[in-house]
Amino acid sequence: MSEQTILRIENLHKAFQNTEVIKGISFEIQEREVVVIIGPSGTGKSTLLRCINLLTRPDMGRIWLEDLEITAPNTKVDQVRQHIGMVFQDFNLFNHLTALQNVTIGMTKVLKMKPDEAHQKGMWELERVGLVDKAESYPAQLSGGQKQRVAIARALGMNPSVMLFDEPTSALDPELIGEVLNVMQKLAEEGMTMLVVTHEMGFAREVSDRIIFMENGDIVEQGPPKKLFYNPEFERTRDFLWKITELYGKQEPGEA
Amino acid sequence: MGFLQDLLRLFPYLLTGIGITIGVTVIALTTGFTLGVLLATLRVYGGPASRWFAATYSLIIRAVPVIVVIFILFFVIARFVDLSPFLSGSIALGLASGAYQSEVFRGAILSVPGGQMMAARAIGMSRSKAIRYIVLPQAMRLAIPPWSNEAAIVLKDSSLVYVIGVAEILRRAEYVSARTLQPFLAFGAAAVIYFALTFITNRVLDYLERRYKILM
Amino acid sequence: MKHKQYLIIAVLLMTLLLSACASNTGSSDEGYLGTIKERGKLVVGTSADYPPYESVNEAGEFAGYDMDLIREIGKRMGVEVEIKDMAFDALIAAVQEKKVDVVIAAMQSSPERDEKVDFTIPYHYQKDAFLVAADSTIVLNKAMDAAGHSIGVQTGTIQEQWTLDNLVPAGTSEDQVFRYERVDQGALDVKAGRVDLLFINADPAAELAAELGIKVALVTDETVIGGQSIALPEGEKQLQDELNRILGEMESDGTLQQLLETWGIP
Repeated sequence: MSEQTILRIENLHKAFQNTEVIKGISFEIQEREVVVIIGPSGTGKSTLLRCINLLTRPDMGRIWLEDLEITAPNTKVDQVRQHIGMVFQDFNLFNHLTALQNVTIGMTKVLKMKPDEAHQKGMWELERVGLVDKAESYPAQLSGGQKQRVAIARALGMNPSVMLFDEPTSALDPELIGEVLNVMQKLAEEGMTMLVVTHEMGFAREVSDRIIFMENGDIVEQGPPKKLFYNPEFERTRDFLWKITELYGKQEPGEA
Repeated sequence: MGFLQDLLRLFPYLLTGIGITIGVTVIALTTGFTLGVLLATLRVYGGPASRWFAATYSLIIRAVPVIVVIFILFFVIARFVDLSPFLSGSIALGLASGAYQSEVFRGAILSVPGGQMMAARAIGMSRSKAIRYIVLPQAMRLAIPPWSNEAAIVLKDSSLVYVIGVAEILRRAEYVSARTLQPFLAFGAAAVIYFALTFITNRVLDYLERRYKILM
Repeated sequence: MKHKQYLIIAVLLMTLLLSACASNTGSSDEGYLGTIKERGKLVVGTSADYPPYESVNEAGEFAGYDMDLIREIGKRMGVEVEIKDMAFDALIAAVQEKKVDVVIAAMQSSPERDEKVDFTIPYHYQKDAFLVAADSTIVLNKAMDAAGHSIGVQTGTIQEQWTLDNLVPAGTSEDQVFRYERVDQGALDVKAGRVDLLFINADPAAELAAELGIKVALVTDETVIGGQSIALPEGEKQLQDELNRILGEMESDGTLQQLLETWGIP
């Protein structure tokens, strides 16, 4: 495989009020790769994602998006973020805009697309997440699962080179999780490069190419799902996976 | 002799002042709106200097009675720019209202969830774009109920411009009262007009609020 | 009315502010008079709620003795007259700031006012009067007899100052002095028995008494310290001379007397 490195993270550090949340993390993601980050809560997974798209400024370390070092002093942060899609745990849809407008506002205001062009692309992105019929609905009129799918479409609309998912199903009722995971699986199959923080072990096992197990701000171990699930190097990894599988069940994508 | 007859005779005269009252109110509210949104944005998103400026402006203006602001502006500002009493009175009222409106909009901006700004930044919007397209449109809608309160206050405060010689409804009522010595009649008629104006304004704003309500 | 007090604060504040920066509008040899003549218009400030001197008639025009007087002066100066109405308290500041050229508002010169503006020679001496309710038993033989009774005055007037300077030391408590923005408000309170006396100029007093069925208890000149004069910006000698000249002319040719008769002023 001679695929390009999309994201390279080198020795990343971040502390909040003297508490070190990320303690020198390094890893890479290749094009079309789906990487899942797992680990106990409070381990710095969300902080890591926010550092990657610079919503939080890392204290130390370097990040490359393709060939560009985005932690360099003169980086145009707003431009960098256009290329990194972000999906939040609590959706953060723009409440005053319809589903379609949520998807198109970035296209018109950031990418400067023409309104009819944006409309067309917006509808296409909604099609990808299966919500064309909700184009004119406002966030308050959508279910949690639908909101998250609109949020995914919104991020896709910017043509990102990588998508970051920050516990995208954690705020959802169990019966709504499946529809979101299905959309994510479809994206993975289309070849989208993805970095996903989640507790959905079914998704991690079936969809990801690699799992990173994090604990206390550091990577414990990483590898293909098979290796981590069936033959982990560390006892801690086994314990965590066992506990989390008990807690969240073994739902596979497509089951719901 | 008809009290009612007198009242009816009086109305057309007082009503000629209604255009001025509405004019003063509209100019003051528009000026105050522009200033209020600007100050509120500086207050929440500005650097230390602009935050300080906005907070101090609001504090000082709100501590001074509106009539004093009108008076000072009429004489001091109008020294450099030759404005009619109507315009300088309206603008002065607007500058005062701007301080109150900045508090209204500041509260509204702060009640827009923080995730909205974060999500806007995440799709590559600059801070100013995020404020303009995401935060402010939501804040405006949240601000409608307290803003309609301020609109009613400005409408009533518009009578204060009489001190610098703008003959709006209240001053006209005073003329009639001085001439006829029937203050009850004159001011009663003025009260009816003010009530009608406030009532209509509130109705329009209520409609806007319902029309643009955001469910969260 | 409480915003009256704020106004006074504002006036004081302004005086401080403005005394710092001197104005300089006088242009030609004739000074400010020249400016007025060039412009072809005399801008006059008044407070049109004081019939028979100044008020707004049913047609919405400024009417009264002072109004006719100043229009005649304008005619003799060869300029148009534009009348601007504002609060009485704002008038002195308005003339100081040259928002208006002159002020005519049944205003008497006083030491306090003289510090801020100049005055013409008096064009009318008006007596003062005390009003009481129709059934009042109060008898006044001289102004000082008013001491001890509750008394209404108009804010910012000479009568207010006289009351504070003379009646208050003689037994009227500060709480007994009621200030009204307009004289008719005070007259209505006298009628309703809310205040014993109303102390104002004699002419409006006669008018109010007739209209409301209350009594004039005393007409006096003991309290009069100056006649009614036209106020103008300080130091504008040419303008002052011109106004004085015309007033003198109107006095001698009988115009002033005629105007007094027109408006029923004794």
